[in-house]
Amino acid sequence: MTGPPTPPSPSPGGGGSVGLVLVSHSSRLAEGARELAEQVAQGTTPILAVGGAEDGSLGTNALAIASAIEALAATDGVVGVLVLMDLGSAVLSAETAMEQLSEEVRALARMVDAPFVEGTVAAAVEASLGSDLTAVAAAAEAARGQSKLG
Amino acid sequence: MEHEHGLHLRPAADFVRLAAKYQSVVKVANLTRGGDREASARSLLEITALGINQGHTIRLRATGEDAEAAVQALADLIRSNFGAGGQ
Repeated sequence: MTGPPTPPSPSPGGGGSVGLVLVSHSSRLAEGARELAEQVAQGTTPILAVGGAEDGSLGTNALAIASAIEALAATDGVVGVLVLMDLGSAVLSAETAMEQLSEEVRALARMVDAPFVEGTVAAAVEASLGSDLTAVAAAAEAARGQSKLG
Repeated sequence: MEHEHGLHLRPAADFVRLAAKYQSVVKVANLTRGGDREASARSLLEITALGINQGHTIRLRATGEDAEAAVQALADLIRSNFGAGGQ
C-alpha cells in the first residue's frame, strides 16, 4: 500500500500523539517498517508507509509523501508528524514534500536523521507514550548511536 | 523470564511504556549473557539488544524516589508473562 491511505484513529492519553510517515524506495520495505512499528505502537498513533515511485518501481514520490503528511496532520489527536527516510534520494523527496505543504501543516511536521528501521521502532514506542514531536524525534535520532553487537 | 519468545518487540514495548511511568532510572541486564551490558528500561533498542530469551535471568536496577515501586512493577510484568497472547 502506497500513497495516502486513511489513517487509523489514534487513541492518545489525552494530549494527542505524534504520527509517523515512513518513506522508503521500496513499498515493501516501507510496509515492513510500518508492520514493525505497529507491533510497538499498537494503535496508539497513526503510522503511514509511503514507498516506491509513482509507477510502483523503486523510488520515492514527493507528492505521495506530502499527501501522507497532510493526512496525518488532519487526523484527530495528531499533534505532530515525524518523517523517517531510508536512503539519500528519499531525503530529497521528503524535502520537496515539505516545501509543498501549507505553513500550518509544515509547522507540525519534521524530518529526522535516523536509521530507518531502528529509528522507526524507537519513534513508535516514544510516540505511543504520548510524547511530543521533539521527544519522538530525539528517540529516533538516538537510535543512530545504538550498537547491535554490544 | 518465562515468556516463550523472550523479551522481543511487542513485550519490550510494553516494558518500556511501564518503565516510562516511573521517575526512577531503571537499568536492565541479562545475567544469562554475562550481565556486563546494561540497557535503559526506557530504550526499546537497548532492551532488544540484550538478547533476552525464555529461561534467561535478568536483573533490574533502579535509582530514584520510586525505585522500589518501579522494579516491583516491571518484575511483575515480566513474571506475568506479559499477559496472554503476546509475541
